[in-house]
Amino acid sequence: MMEKSRKILGNHVETRSLDDLIIADDYRGKMAFISKIANDHQDLENVCPTRAISKKDDCTMTLDSGKCIMCGYCAESFPKLVKIENKCANPAKTKNQLIEYSASLEHLPDKSYEKMGVELQEKIKKLFGRSLAIREIDAGSCNGCEIEITALNNPIYDIERFGIHFVSSPRHADVLLVTGPASRNMETALLRTYEATPTPKIVIAVGACACSGGIFGDTYATTGGIDTIVPVDVYIPGCPPRPEILIRGLLLAVDRMATHGS
Amino acid sequence: MNPLILDNHIGKILSNFSNQIKKIDNKNNEIYIHLKDVNDTQIICNHVYENLNTKLATIICTDEQKTDNGFVIRYVFEKLDADIFIFIIISLEKNNCFPSIVSHVPAAATYEREIKDMFGLVPIGNPDLRPLVLHEHWPNDMFPLRKEFDLKTKVIRQEQEYPFLQVEGDGICEIPVGPVHAGIIEPGHFRFSVLGENIINLETRLFYTHKGIEKLAESMKLDEALLLSERISGDESVANSTAYCQAIEKISQITIPNKAKKIRTIFGELERAYNHIGTLGGISTDAGFAFGAARLHILKERLMQLNESLSGSRILFGVNKIGGVKCDISEGKKKLILERIDEVLSDFDKVIVMLKSKSSFMDRLKDTGIIQKKTAHDLGIVGIAARCVGIDVDTRYDHPYANYVVHNHRTPQQVMQSKIEMEKRSGDVLARFEVRINEVHDSFKIIRESLDLDTGGLFADVPVEITPYGSALGYAESHRGQTLHWVMMGEKNSIFRYKIRTASFCNWKIIEHAVLNDIVPDFPLVNKSLDLSYSGNDL
Repeated sequence: MMEKSRKILGNHVETRSLDDLIIADDYRGKMAFISKIANDHQDLENVCPTRAISKKDDCTMTLDSGKCIMCGYCAESFPKLVKIENKCANPAKTKNQLIEYSASLEHLPDKSYEKMGVELQEKIKKLFGRSLAIREIDAGSCNGCEIEITALNNPIYDIERFGIHFVSSPRHADVLLVTGPASRNMETALLRTYEATPTPKIVIAVGACACSGGIFGDTYATTGGIDTIVPVDVYIPGCPPRPEILIRGLLLAVDRMATHGS
Repeated sequence: MNPLILDNHIGKILSNFSNQIKKIDNKNNEIYIHLKDVNDTQIICNHVYENLNTKLATIICTDEQKTDNGFVIRYVFEKLDADIFIFIIISLEKNNCFPSIVSHVPAAATYEREIKDMFGLVPIGNPDLRPLVLHEHWPNDMFPLRKEFDLKTKVIRQEQEYPFLQVEGDGICEIPVGPVHAGIIEPGHFRFSVLGENIINLETRLFYTHKGIEKLAESMKLDEALLLSERISGDESVANSTAYCQAIEKISQITIPNKAKKIRTIFGELERAYNHIGTLGGISTDAGFAFGAARLHILKERLMQLNESLSGSRILFGVNKIGGVKCDISEGKKKLILERIDEVLSDFDKVIVMLKSKSSFMDRLKDTGIIQKKTAHDLGIVGIAARCVGIDVDTRYDHPYANYVVHNHRTPQQVMQSKIEMEKRSGDVLARFEVRINEVHDSFKIIRESLDLDTGGLFADVPVEITPYGSALGYAESHRGQTLHWVMMGEKNSIFRYKIRTASFCNWKIIEHAVLNDIVPDFPLVNKSLDLSYSGNDL
């Protein structure tokens, strides 16, 4: 791959197919249930630092991807019940859709970054006739999510070629990408940025903290998720979500804009 | 630590102040001096600061009202010429104020303001008593780190104005920036007072990302707090979790296996390398040279992909564990590391040659954002910001941890050379640019030298119950500088107090001085060259 990027620079070709970007086998993408029934569910629930695992009924456990921070403590303690996969949890339009049941062990087929990007580009072109403008707001994140969002702009992921542009003012934005558990000190700033964004606008909560408060939870200094302050349209789970998942979330956001008819 | 040297230091302090000292003892590389009277704090802190070649490392406050000590304040001074930390300990008993040491130790200013916000103790003599951590919406009579304050308390917001410094005069304009910035970065507020284009004053207002990490840790189990320590600042995860683990390991007197020491070193250096390369790319962006940035960001991405194959996380979450490490480095992975760093290094060198040949780029960096050595010394600056003005501080070698003790053997000639090198450093953006380049090379060298892993386990067993109220200091050098974590255990393996001081907390103060007389468009460049974390500062 290194050879390839050298060629990219040598040939003055800025970008190239990313189909060979494979996720490492050991990557902690998401937790998955192996067994359908968990007898010692109480212990499994308690081992999770963010309380992402809970019991639904006698034979079903649920995982809330919006809370999971991929620490892997559950798989270390209960290797027979759960495992960590290198596939990532999918973004969702509502918080409930982030919850996965142990009874359903199925998976959506993963598309490559490149395919999703092209799909996104077509949809944006059809819907807007111009680029999609994104404003990023950090509402108290640890800066892990910022690293991944910045990575979207590097020459390898290069999201601008799909017609997605990060803008410097909320006045120019269609989409707000919000990270962090919404710290109390950022509450007013977040609200005012939201109000400064022209409608129609889409808010995307990025990362476990933005979805649910993550490890920082709901305390005197945090508010336990972006949706306690502004309405959220798309939730992207992960700690932090990798660029492939961010673009999948953007795809969902554009779909949502289309169905709104706005 | 050599007990003789330790005794020598204790003797030096005792001989001067035997009447004022209640008790003196030591553990590991820490000397604890308990004072009889709170009012002697200033004299003794001054003596330690000025005569014993130390710098202020941190000030830790704890609420020990339950054990009848009242509030206890620990002033931690770090010896600059030996691996020793000197703790000066005062208990306030029923008092709600303590003497400020700011007039002699300027670096203490923000620590004292922090204590005032979080514990409600007033530093008498500190000229700036404005709120720091808790913003104007917070009432004046609630103190989160007191034990009676419940973590989940929801305090009603109130409206107040923050008194910014007023700069007045003919033609002076004020430019407020933030907390939401134009780029993809963390939130903070900057208030520039400018005369024409020149900055004549900058006031920073931070703590927008304050998440109550220290309070939250007190409600957590030890291994949950480990996850929290990784998330103090996402890009410093290995350094912070290493420091946290070391603190717990020191309290419970565990020695971690050699293999784990080497793996911690390798991941620490990988973290430094990918962040330094990212920052160099950022400097290139902010100097308006996108091509250099693009090439450096490709290299950063390569290293992040390497991180992913080694640790399962692109930003190295989940490497450490109390007592050792979680990730093993197999033979196959060793090969991968060697291949990848060779590729990255050869490209890196080419990019740097290219950047250095662009006179407009180099001109932008030279003489921009100059830090004065005296200011850096007084404010207790650490890491790159200190090394770029020739203050030779580096926790990896001053207080060796993990496997760094083996990388510190230098011949007298090398020591001289490095001293001459240090003297030449001018404290501008260019100096920081060059220090970072050198450190990327050093990091790759250390990784190569650490790859001959020993056989054996990855971690040592942690005792089932750690002695309550034992405390220790853990430290590591992140890519920003020294990060210090002080942990005091509570009953039943709980955490009584977790005090975190990252390099960003020390270094944010310097930016107000570094930008003076530069023009406003240089601010992003100066800011990026210091590469400070907002989250690591705000906690």
